[in-house]
Amino acid sequence: MPEITYVEAIRSALREEMRRDERVFIIGEDIGRYGGAFGVTTGMLDEFGDKRIIETPISEPSIIGAAVGAAVVGMRPIAEIMFMDFTLLTLDQIGNQAAKMHYMFGGKATVPMVIRMPGGSGTGAAAQHSQSLETLLMHLPGLKVVTPSTPYDAKGLLLTAIRDLNPVCFIEHKLLYKTKGEVPEGEYTIPFGVADIKRDGTDLTIVSNGIMVRKALAVAERLAQEGINVEIIDPRTLVPLDSETIINSVIKTGKLLVIHEACETAGWAGEIMAVISSSRAFDYLDAPMRRLTGKNVPIPYNRVLERAAVPQEEDIEREIRAIVKGAY
Amino acid sequence: MPVPVIMPKVDMDQEKATIISWEKNEGDEVQYDETILTVETEKVAIDVTAPAAGTLVGILYKAGDVVPVATEIAYILKPGETLPNTPTVQTQASTTTQDPASVATKSPTPSAVQASPLALRVAEELHIPIQDVPTKHQKISKEDVEVYAASLKSPEQNSIVSTDKIAATPAARRISREIGIPLSSVSGTGPSDRIQAGDVLRVEKPSPAPSIDRQAEIVPLVGMRAKIANKMQASFQDAPHIAETIEVDVSRLESLKARLNDVAASNGKGKVSLTAIIVKLVAWALERHPYINTSLIDENIYLWNEVNIGVATALENGLIVPVVHGANRLSFTETAEKINDLSQRARQGRLELTEVQRGTFTISNLGMYGINQFRAIINPPEDAILAVGTVTRKPIVIDDKDTIAVRPMMSLTLSADHRVIDGVVAAKFLSDLASVIEHPELLLE
Repeated sequence: MPEITYVEAIRSALREEMRRDERVFIIGEDIGRYGGAFGVTTGMLDEFGDKRIIETPISEPSIIGAAVGAAVVGMRPIAEIMFMDFTLLTLDQIGNQAAKMHYMFGGKATVPMVIRMPGGSGTGAAAQHSQSLETLLMHLPGLKVVTPSTPYDAKGLLLTAIRDLNPVCFIEHKLLYKTKGEVPEGEYTIPFGVADIKRDGTDLTIVSNGIMVRKALAVAERLAQEGINVEIIDPRTLVPLDSETIINSVIKTGKLLVIHEACETAGWAGEIMAVISSSRAFDYLDAPMRRLTGKNVPIPYNRVLERAAVPQEEDIEREIRAIVKGAY
Repeated sequence: MPVPVIMPKVDMDQEKATIISWEKNEGDEVQYDETILTVETEKVAIDVTAPAAGTLVGILYKAGDVVPVATEIAYILKPGETLPNTPTVQTQASTTTQDPASVATKSPTPSAVQASPLALRVAEELHIPIQDVPTKHQKISKEDVEVYAASLKSPEQNSIVSTDKIAATPAARRISREIGIPLSSVSGTGPSDRIQAGDVLRVEKPSPAPSIDRQAEIVPLVGMRAKIANKMQASFQDAPHIAETIEVDVSRLESLKARLNDVAASNGKGKVSLTAIIVKLVAWALERHPYINTSLIDENIYLWNEVNIGVATALENGLIVPVVHGANRLSFTETAEKINDLSQRARQGRLELTEVQRGTFTISNLGMYGINQFRAIINPPEDAILAVGTVTRKPIVIDDKDTIAVRPMMSLTLSADHRVIDGVVAAKFLSDLASVIEHPELLLE
């Protein structure tokens, strides 16, 4: 199986689906000649032309508004928001229109659109270009929220997202774009609501998404040499959430750590803990559930502070050791 | 305007001060800035000076009192002024020569009790009647209240609180339940000695019998058996049981039974059992003794208007108490029919929920097994239960000439909740019941 980058995996999903289905088009800022802020659509203007790679002025509400309208009349738009921070400009289009139409029109309308949005810190882009806002989107009924952590997941989930009949928020972590992984050539899809156990373990269940899955895996491999066996679960889609896999894992390990880059307050770690404490896994908990998350601060521009604002491998290692040792 | 004298705050962390002595007395003329009393904080003694010139009145605290800072402790009046009739100083307005000790008795205090305002406040916070607090001094102090409050907490209460609060993880609790090791016997190794799953698993399960080689069929305490176990345990623990026994001559009851059965037979009805007759007679007696037909629920005694008599009925592996509702309004035959129907369906497990609810009294009859006499445990929330023994023919003295005759005798034992039912109340009930059993014509009264 060829190894390709996360960017290439996303591009191959976009390209294959646009070749297969002529209703699919991409709309966003700088996605044509420039190839997108992170190079995802590089070369696609040449292949598909400016009717299907549509560049817009700097107006996120028009991108989403146009996509919603096109989706309702039968197209399959893929909207690119250059930084997910700008999603905040479009919350009415996303939350009140895209997410609600299928429901409010009694199922007569569908809104088959994908909103791709690069999120996360680590690029020195400061507080307005570095946020992880997945919790915000999870809270709006009618939206699906996807946060792939590997090239393989990115491609399979993006194909499922494009073919889904209602809006999907597809969150790509900026630091993952250059990471590599094995991805099969040709078409495959990954169903929503199916978590992936990225690593089997017995001592502690870690639930994590995006870049944090990668960091947790690196720490887990190191700790395995000391006999600490961590299980890492990537829900892959936060909405819909595969609770069963997480519950079964906690029943096995008795301990839970949720890691996300998004801020702690009202972050989705709390949601996972609530799922566990009200499930049959409660009676198997042998330590307080813990979360390791981004701090409740705007992401700083200063590199040192930016690192300190979100969980790093050393933080994850310290937290795993403390939980396994029974320090809490 | 009267100028209040205020207990000063001289240290940042000072909350109160003790009055050492009054340099001036009620009614004295004082100059501005003249020392009127000395108080002591935990660190220093200080003089409190007059905030104005005038007459010192309304002294609220005496030497030795501990007073919170910023509290008004007295007032200074200009000539012609009087104290306003506020609750705190109501008694001083008219006279300025009162004894300071009695002045300190503020309005909420029962008049006979002397207590410092602080003691009053603390007592109120602890919901303790101030008049219950003992003191060795002239006045009840805050310390007196606290000592008394501590004495009210019995050691049992304290231990219940502490065993309730065993720190254990959910997994440890589950394993403790599953393998039957009480958490109280496990020492935790987690943070703050929290019990974790491993701690429970490490405890060796105590063998239930001296030798683990002994064979036994093990029946888990579940379902009806568990329910009975819990109910009996709770009843015996919560209700202080008293038991009183009376022996009755059932000659006339037996002939009544024979006659009722003749009638029933000729009407094609079922047999009238001794239990049915006793239910009917007990209902009659309960109507005359309302305190036996009661339930103690929370802080109230419910004297039930209805007489609903439960009849303990043995099942193959347990017991159920179907209830004859409105037993005081049924005839002998109706009572008998009702009991026959209930007990038959009880054994088939086909009773409705309502047919085992709302009982106000229970009868348990073990006479058919030859049991002479026994004490039953009250069926909560009822307050009494009647245990009926077997009918034995025995020689008894039947008159005041010491004539001995053989008579069918039966013993009745009433167990009663002594919190509600006094010994004499139980005795009067039993005595009336015995009368109606020996003289069933009393029913016609």
